[in-house]
Amino acid sequence: MAHTSGHVEGTIRKFLRRAKKSEDGVSAQTRLYAGGIGLTSLDTAELAAVLEDELGTDPFSHGFMPETIGEIVDFYDKLGPEAEPASP
Amino acid sequence: MNDTVQLGHEPAEHYDRVTGAWRLLLGEELHYGVFESGDEPLQVATAALTGQMVAAAELRPGLDVLDVGCGTGAPACALASAHGVHVVGITTSQVGVDAARLRAAGLAGRASFELRDGTDNGFADATFDRVWVLESSHLMPDRVALLCECARVLRPGGRLVLCDITRQREIPFQEVLRRRLEFATLRDAFGEARMEPLGYYAELAQRSGLDVQELRDLTQRTLPTFDRWRANAAEHDAEVRVALGADGLDAFVRSCDILEGFWRDGTLGYGLISAVKRDVV
Repeated sequence: MAHTSGHVEGTIRKFLRRAKKSEDGVSAQTRLYAGGIGLTSLDTAELAAVLEDELGTDPFSHGFMPETIGEIVDFYDKLGPEAEPASP
Repeated sequence: MNDTVQLGHEPAEHYDRVTGAWRLLLGEELHYGVFESGDEPLQVATAALTGQMVAAAELRPGLDVLDVGCGTGAPACALASAHGVHVVGITTSQVGVDAARLRAAGLAGRASFELRDGTDNGFADATFDRVWVLESSHLMPDRVALLCECARVLRPGGRLVLCDITRQREIPFQEVLRRRLEFATLRDAFGEARMEPLGYYAELAQRSGLDVQELRDLTQRTLPTFDRWRANAAEHDAEVRVALGADGLDAFVRSCDILEGFWRDGTLGYGLISAVKRDVV
């Protein structure tokens, strides 16, 4: 089964806290870059690494560049069960 | 790197200690050096960079100079003393302002310091004859606003001089992803920075009503700086370790290696731009 949106959003929020970015008003529509959370390219690379660590894969390494949090969630929604990381 | 030592509103004693450690690492002037032979001491090379900025600025006594990102005021005070100009230094660090005001105590008002943002400085139009931006622009994310503000506060015929680290090529996102630990090390050591090509500064200057006089690529001539910084780290290991911590010192040394690699592979470099405000027709 694919990751739940709650799991993906929770991972993103964990990254935002660690990166000292504001979570206020963050929603699926929130833009990741200028005019939204304001991620730099390095922030985005670090988000990609966190997503990969937590969820087994990340959209950025697949050449997909999401513009919003919702697009990251959609990426995982569209993944099949094969994307689920192995149980510890 | 004038503003890389900003520490917000931390106690002055801590700020002094950390700034002192950065002086041991980067040299008294806290910025890159421009080397002629490559063999000269760092302090000669940092003075050479300042000298290039001074020459590009065409300073003369009585001019009003704005120093954007003035750090703790050392360059502003030196300019006021050596060239008889009136300098207003601005920084977003209150501790930096306080330290700079103390430093300027004997200058009879020729150097003053205020808490202001270079990208929204609040001065009236056409207040200054010169705007001086020495290694602070890479820490200001809104480069468009910075150049607009610099141009706005210049009098017609006034001159902007700026030097900084530059980006020499596009860095694709997949490369940032792959090299993120290197970029993160630089951020940890020097703060959140964004480098732009020298040509981008020229484009913004033109758009802001300035005529670019010179673009000077100093990449090769600043390259020996990293060797000197590493040597300083080794020489002052114990003192710097106390002030910055072992992790801070380690991050600095690794940063020297990473930056040197970026200089050599054509990713980053160093440049100077001078531009003159057009006369109103």
